[in-house]
Amino acid sequence: MAGVLLIGCTEVKQQPQTAGPADIGGTMVVATPAEPGTILPGLYSTSVERQVTDLLFDRLAEIGDDLNSIGDKGFTPQLATRWEWAPDSLSIVFHLDPRARWHDGQPVRASDVRYSVSLIKDPTFGSPMASSTMNVDSVSVRDSLTAVAYFKKHTPEQFFDLVYQVSIVPEHILGNTPPAQLRTAEVARRGIGSGRFRLAHWDQGKRLELIADTANYRGRAKLDRIVYSVSLDFNSAVARLFTGDADFFEQLRPENMAKVEKDTSLRALPYPSLQHTFLALNMIDPAHPGQPNPIFGDRTVRRALTMAVDRAGMLRNVFGAMAHPSYGPFPRFLAVADTTLPQLPYDTLRARALLDSAGWTPGPDGVRTKNGQRLAFTITTTVSSATRKQYAVLLQEAFKRVGAAVNIDATDFAGSAAKLAGRSFETTLVTFAPDPNVSGIRQAWSSAALGKDGLNYPSYVNPIVDALLDSATISFDPARARAYSRRAFEIIIEDAPGIWLYEAPTVAGIHKRIHTTGLRADEYWARMADWWIPASERTPRDRIGLRPAPTP
Amino acid sequence: MRRFVAGRLAQAAIVVFLVTTVTFVLVHLAPGDPFATALARPGITEALRQQQREAFGLDRPLGEQYLRWIGNAARGELGWSISFNRPVRDVIADALPRTLLLVGLSLALSFALGIVVAVLQTERPGGRRDRWLGRILLLLYSVPDFWLALVVLLIFAYWLPIFPPSGIVDPVRHDYMSFSGRLLDRLSHLVLPVTTLTLLATAAISRHQRSALMEVMPSDWMRTAIAKGMSHRRAVRRHALRNALLPAITLAGLYLPALAAGALFVEKVYSWPGMGLLAANAIVTRDYHLVTAAVLISSIAVALGALLADVAVAAADPRIRVS
Repeated sequence: MAGVLLIGCTEVKQQPQTAGPADIGGTMVVATPAEPGTILPGLYSTSVERQVTDLLFDRLAEIGDDLNSIGDKGFTPQLATRWEWAPDSLSIVFHLDPRARWHDGQPVRASDVRYSVSLIKDPTFGSPMASSTMNVDSVSVRDSLTAVAYFKKHTPEQFFDLVYQVSIVPEHILGNTPPAQLRTAEVARRGIGSGRFRLAHWDQGKRLELIADTANYRGRAKLDRIVYSVSLDFNSAVARLFTGDADFFEQLRPENMAKVEKDTSLRALPYPSLQHTFLALNMIDPAHPGQPNPIFGDRTVRRALTMAVDRAGMLRNVFGAMAHPSYGPFPRFLAVADTTLPQLPYDTLRARALLDSAGWTPGPDGVRTKNGQRLAFTITTTVSSATRKQYAVLLQEAFKRVGAAVNIDATDFAGSAAKLAGRSFETTLVTFAPDPNVSGIRQAWSSAALGKDGLNYPSYVNPIVDALLDSATISFDPARARAYSRRAFEIIIEDAPGIWLYEAPTVAGIHKRIHTTGLRADEYWARMADWWIPASERTPRDRIGLRPAPTP
Repeated sequence: MRRFVAGRLAQAAIVVFLVTTVTFVLVHLAPGDPFATALARPGITEALRQQQREAFGLDRPLGEQYLRWIGNAARGELGWSISFNRPVRDVIADALPRTLLLVGLSLALSFALGIVVAVLQTERPGGRRDRWLGRILLLLYSVPDFWLALVVLLIFAYWLPIFPPSGIVDPVRHDYMSFSGRLLDRLSHLVLPVTTLTLLATAAISRHQRSALMEVMPSDWMRTAIAKGMSHRRAVRRHALRNALLPAITLAGLYLPALAAGALFVEKVYSWPGMGLLAANAIVTRDYHLVTAAVLISSIAVALGALLADVAVAAADPRIRVS
């Protein structure tokens, strides 16, 4: 959380903290590398889809900046003005804001909450969030403004499971379409939500325009409009930012920073993120599924390979001073993260000694062998990521120094994803952003996450880790949850199922006239409706206002 | 001629069928599927992916999927784009006119410019103008399209911010402009991509046209025309050019498919949402129906381009008989 606070402090020095009454209006053009395929909450899978649905649709309550997922501490009202826990904690009564309206003017009702939950849970709808809401039994309607959510069991994250994972959607718009058809239905493209922005225009392949919902119950968005303009090529998107054609681009690269610093109209906007990257070492033999990997099944070899990697040096080499190292199987902004955990050191002598002790002896070509098996493997990565390709080359060189022969298999995203899903890789560079709770860690590192349904890509199994993560997940005391998690992290780091590499710098380029507020690690856009442009700094496109476009 | 055209159309239909079939099979054989890209999202299970595959018929045998697609395509239904969540027909109906505008304008300018440059070069073959134009054309002919696009972008949108760097219109203000404002906005967004494509195509066209002109220049009828008092320039325009147009017509036939297939790298650099970009992204996202439909349209354009070129050549030069 320190990072969040530091970023906030930097902004306080540079910019006025709040918008005045005259500072309402203006336009922000976002150059987006991908356009949404869906704007229906519950179906999103890409970052831009999630961003747009979050701006259009509200939840019952909003998670706090510390991303606490235990109980309801830190959550602030959104569609629900207040909530009451039943004495047995197996139900929660949500009182809806009577002022809340859908963008078509209809009131938001408790029946919408009931419909939203049943939709997410409906297997024919096919929502990725369905598994996260398994503990939510049902929702009943006490009256039009009171919804009662029932849970199967009392868990620390039951409130999070419902409130964070479920955005409320309008039953009167979607309810007449069978859930199985909603993915492709026209009604799902209307974007009628209750958020502070409403959908104005969506011209697929070109742009998506959101405008302020002026009568919103949570107050009008400070910007008039946000336009997502599609720029599929990275260089083209950056050029649009530098030429003033766009105001915001989410992911600058290190080589862009000097130019941003020189540009008087732009500033770099670092924002926290839950993404971290590691080299997953597949403990299952991809050629013989079910059998241990002849190389990575051995803990000693995994530890030796980890020690062969100068992670700090690689970080400097690729990112300069911008990125952060990855400290373990977690991003540092996670509530249970601990960046002080002991790490396996960079020590090539020890790495070689470990490989010697494990029976891997150097062959005539310098590559180690054991019982006829060469210490040779492939690093799978995606062609689209320049950073991961650089890392693959650096890792190849590092492993060569301790007697491992490495090939690099750079494939497109779909091919790489298929290998990941089928666990048919030997090693692969994984960039991963877990859910911001303890369960997010459990989703990736427990034996419950093995197989194609899980995110345990290295197929790592340690019963002690399972027990510790289970304990952390069911602990109602955040301090105890943190302690259990810490111990689990320590063991995972020692077992080395992956080599923790980096948390890539997440720095956006943004026009200086746009003032931002609190950037949350899970969703930097969470308060985008409160970003503003001072009246004195407006450009011509800021002065259009909310008047409708004339008919051509 | 009718028999020739009918025969070529039949050949074209076979080629289109084969190309589409091979594309359909290859794109299905590539690792991953349309739902693989959503893989890293926590909560997406194999059962969910399988459910989606079933919903879109991707669980059926490949032959059955193909027959179903062919049957639908024959009725004008090109399938469903999973990445766009829209019918493929609608997605292509959006992208194709943008490509036609971009590539059509570029080709028209390229042929006009290419022929003019070739005529200028042949007025004094080996002279200073011919040599310099030849060097410039060779340079343009040699550079990769994406590189030239980036250089043009850098110079005219970045260093000298004269033209908009990308897109087809201003994403915010276009709808609020007057009719003339909209027209200007659209034209200004066309300048850089059209310039890039025009420079690239002009180099090829001009070099071919110059060679063709150089071949006819020593002809008896040219010498006679000049001997009768016609100026060299007029003789070239009135006689030599007409007789040297066949390579240009053949080239036009070869370039014609780009009208439907788009210009991938130029579209990518300038974020021009045309057919090239559409097809490339469809391959990356394994949007099977969209890839196959894009290839279908491109292969039809290739076949038609070749046929039109043959017919046009025959019409332009009566000595050539088609059979």
